[in-house]
Amino acid sequence: MAASLHRLERAVLPCLEKHSSVAEIIAAAKMQEVEVLRALQWLQNKGLARLTEKIEEIIRLGENGKAYAKSLLPEARFLNSIASKPLPLSGIKKAASLSDEEMGASIGALMRIKAIEPVAVAAEKTFKITESGRQVAKAGLRAQRFISGRNFPVGINDLSGEEKNIVAELKKRKDVIEEEVVKKRTAFLTELGKEVLKKAAASAETVDRLTPEMLVTGKWRSTEFRSYNLTAAAPRTFFGKLQPYREFLEEVREKFVSLGFEEMTGPIVESEFWNMDALFMPQFHSARDIHDVYYVKEPKYATDLPWQLVKKVKAAHENGFGTGSKGWRYGFSEEKTARLIMRSQTTACSARKMVSQGMKIPGKYFAIGRCFRYDVIDAKHLADFNQVEGIIVEEGINLRHLIGLLKLFAKEFCNTDKVKIVPSYFPFTEPSASLYAKHPELGWMELAGAGIFRPEMVKPLTGKHVPVIAWGIGIDRIAMFRLGLNDIRELFSHDLAFLRNAKAV
Amino acid sequence: MPTITFSYKDFQQLLGKKMPFAEFEEKLLLYAKAEVEGYEKENDEVTVKLDDTNLPYLWCPEGLARFFQGILCLRKGIAKLKVNSSSYKIIAGSSVSKVRPYITAFVAKGRRIDDYILKQLVQLQEKFCEGYGRRRQKVSIGLYSYKRLAFPVHYTAVEPESVKFVPLEFTKALSLKEILSQHPKGQQYGWIIKGFQKYPLLADDKGEVLSLPPVINSNFTGKLEVGDSELLFEATGTDEESINLAANIFAQNLQERGFGIHSVTVSYPGRTVIAPAANKERVKISAKEVEKLIGLKLAEPEIKSLLLKMGYDVVDGHAVVPPYRADIMHPVDVIEDVAIAYGFDKIADEPLTSYTIGSKEKTTVAINALRKLVVGMGFQEVFSHILADKNSLITGAGAVELENFMSETYSAVRNSVLPQLLDVLAENKHVDYPQKVFEEGIVAAREGSRISEWRSLALMAAHPKADFTEMKQYVTALLAATSAKFEILPAEHPAFMKGRAGSIVIDKEIVGVIGEISPAVLSKFGIETPAAAIEINLDFLFTD
Repeated sequence: MAASLHRLERAVLPCLEKHSSVAEIIAAAKMQEVEVLRALQWLQNKGLARLTEKIEEIIRLGENGKAYAKSLLPEARFLNSIASKPLPLSGIKKAASLSDEEMGASIGALMRIKAIEPVAVAAEKTFKITESGRQVAKAGLRAQRFISGRNFPVGINDLSGEEKNIVAELKKRKDVIEEEVVKKRTAFLTELGKEVLKKAAASAETVDRLTPEMLVTGKWRSTEFRSYNLTAAAPRTFFGKLQPYREFLEEVREKFVSLGFEEMTGPIVESEFWNMDALFMPQFHSARDIHDVYYVKEPKYATDLPWQLVKKVKAAHENGFGTGSKGWRYGFSEEKTARLIMRSQTTACSARKMVSQGMKIPGKYFAIGRCFRYDVIDAKHLADFNQVEGIIVEEGINLRHLIGLLKLFAKEFCNTDKVKIVPSYFPFTEPSASLYAKHPELGWMELAGAGIFRPEMVKPLTGKHVPVIAWGIGIDRIAMFRLGLNDIRELFSHDLAFLRNAKAV
Repeated sequence: MPTITFSYKDFQQLLGKKMPFAEFEEKLLLYAKAEVEGYEKENDEVTVKLDDTNLPYLWCPEGLARFFQGILCLRKGIAKLKVNSSSYKIIAGSSVSKVRPYITAFVAKGRRIDDYILKQLVQLQEKFCEGYGRRRQKVSIGLYSYKRLAFPVHYTAVEPESVKFVPLEFTKALSLKEILSQHPKGQQYGWIIKGFQKYPLLADDKGEVLSLPPVINSNFTGKLEVGDSELLFEATGTDEESINLAANIFAQNLQERGFGIHSVTVSYPGRTVIAPAANKERVKISAKEVEKLIGLKLAEPEIKSLLLKMGYDVVDGHAVVPPYRADIMHPVDVIEDVAIAYGFDKIADEPLTSYTIGSKEKTTVAINALRKLVVGMGFQEVFSHILADKNSLITGAGAVELENFMSETYSAVRNSVLPQLLDVLAENKHVDYPQKVFEEGIVAAREGSRISEWRSLALMAAHPKADFTEMKQYVTALLAATSAKFEILPAEHPAFMKGRAGSIVIDKEIVGVIGEISPAVLSKFGIETPAAAIEINLDFLFTD
């Protein structure tokens, strides 16, 4: 029997003399875990070893749990925000940076322990901290002490009674506590095993592998090689792979190249000038305030603005810049235009392209770029996402070409002729249209927005009155569909199992 | 984008016609740049989202019904407003010119205000002031029960501590300064006037305060209630055109609800304005321009009938803009309405015919070649957010932090991809090793008053034997494929072990780092497997 042992079995067998825990055996054998486990399984099948498994339940912190351990539970942040003075709900929400859902849960939790109470007179619901709330805030919430203080993972049997109650509470929340059942394995030699081990130690060399030496010396001719069990499972191995969402974006890129579009790029830290003013978005537009755009803390202002151009754009905003327009009629701020923000739309790339010497007429351009919006992150919204946008510059094009283009997009991206093209509003295009397409699986979806750039935008940037069709496509829903995702956050997943197993074909 | 709620029955009544809801929904999308968000049939409550942030007259059932009357050919042209001239007067002092220079007003009488009408008035008031009125800075609107007022009304600016009144929902009189700090609305809107020495105040002839615009009305005069049948509308602001727009929209709506509209004379030092002032602007529209923009060959009479349908009057080849609209800046705005009236669904599409050659950016091509090479070395690609926790950045390089972040998780632009790769290892401790991951992407750092952005490529391997040598093999293979000559010089780096970290140098310029991740860093991330990494700034590839 000793001769028919597999190389792995022969390596593991001696380790069983001194060790019984599988973890120790792995260390002693200096082999990979899968190899040792396979060898032990085979040894057990042959009656040489006995494997036992004990089940143990452990808990660890989930994604939210880890975040709360670091940046405090929502109710703790809630409580801290009103520690010095009562605040209305909107104030608390802002100070503690809580979502609506977290606000609700926090109020419930804190009211239950009488740590807060509403202030009667205020018009907007306002809360103040109670005396017992003050003590709680000082000592820290029990649940907070638990998740911040404990080392995870923890065996369930190692938890105190109070801790068990805390865990039961925390389990009601999403992704705070994760439970897992782990196996603790041990292995022992059987009597037969001990005998075989003795013989194996005495027996001659292995006949497992063909070696270069055998080939050189010709020894292979007189050697008998062990037959393999071909049905035995091979350990899985993971090869290199491209990220599936990024590959999807590459596919979109190829598509635009094949449709005759040239790629454009631009910086992600942009001035308000390129991101909005050059697009004829008035400086008072609601999409420009701190609740929609991320402002850079330091430095605050761009130092490389094209001031000649800024003057023209300023005139377009204030009085139409001789385009036959009244303009937006307000005082354009040159300070605001230089303010640095995170790019909120790839249309900024189009504006830069239109000013550049290299812009061809006729020309088609596209950009796939990262954009940033001040938004609550959930299954449908990201603060940091990709946009696909572009322009077509050509004498003589009009709304009918724009409608043709949108129908082409429906065909290319949703493989459908079923479309609704309806009027829409963007501050920089007139006319503007939205495309709804009937995706064969997803049904009706808003796929694209488009329009013809306003003369007040085109003239300052190009010096001409040339028609420019601008468009943007929302491709993330299609990407999610292709990758089988329901949550947009998973497009940027760090889950290796998901990435390794994602379909590539 | 504003969202409004109203009764569908009320809408049909205003429209003067029954209309199947499905038709309303479809036409809303096709003509009004708006969308039904919800319809509770049993409560007769419809919620509509309006796309056009510049067209507030549609943010109410009255405006929508007026618009639909045009679309359905039930009426043509501008809805006329009948203003009864009267002797009501507002006297605006010169003191308001700095803080909030303009005011307009009218009186509406003749119909009992019920709960629904009051709700509609308040809804439009809020939507108008928040959106179009830029959170009340540009325009704020006050509605008052007329019966408590003694005309003329006085609009002046006063010292913040010189006047006290009881603000809405309060029982105690507060000074203007106290209102700003104590009343919720004061805390919300006080910033608009806080910086001025004097605050605007509206008071009647007996000295009874109406309101502290744009913050709060008085609890006595400034309370419009169910059962009132006479009201004073007033709008103040920093832009005269916008307050006039507000007055025209409200007056038109109230007239359509059965109120009579009575003028108010606003007397400023040196001029007087009779409100509501219906200024009707004319825009020249030519068939040639129409064809150029929307591709439709339309005769003048056709254009005229389409414009009438969209609520314009047409006089001598000019479109006359209704006084309840202020969104027309350029003839293209009117021409778009011609296309909308024609029907986007009826406009035949036209293919693009010009031949252009598509191409990718040079950087994209080079980066994709490198990504494939790294995959060939057995690495799994990951794709992360560019925004990162400001506390997770690599120290040393200047950070580009956000001023108004919502959560610390996304509070800065990453200055290295390495922390995100460490995060991948930390999140996958129970997944099979070896783990070899890489990412290419934009990173940024601040250098004094400038921000620089570059493309960074980082590789990280984690397994029990991961070490410097392995990484050196990868970097050698990678840079050999770019034909760049490099050397590795000893360096110190916060992420790497001392004595096992190096700078990757090309042409005497440091382009990257290589090394074994320090155990302190691994344990901070809770990683229990050794790891080694490379990060290279790819800019050297793109400089000609």
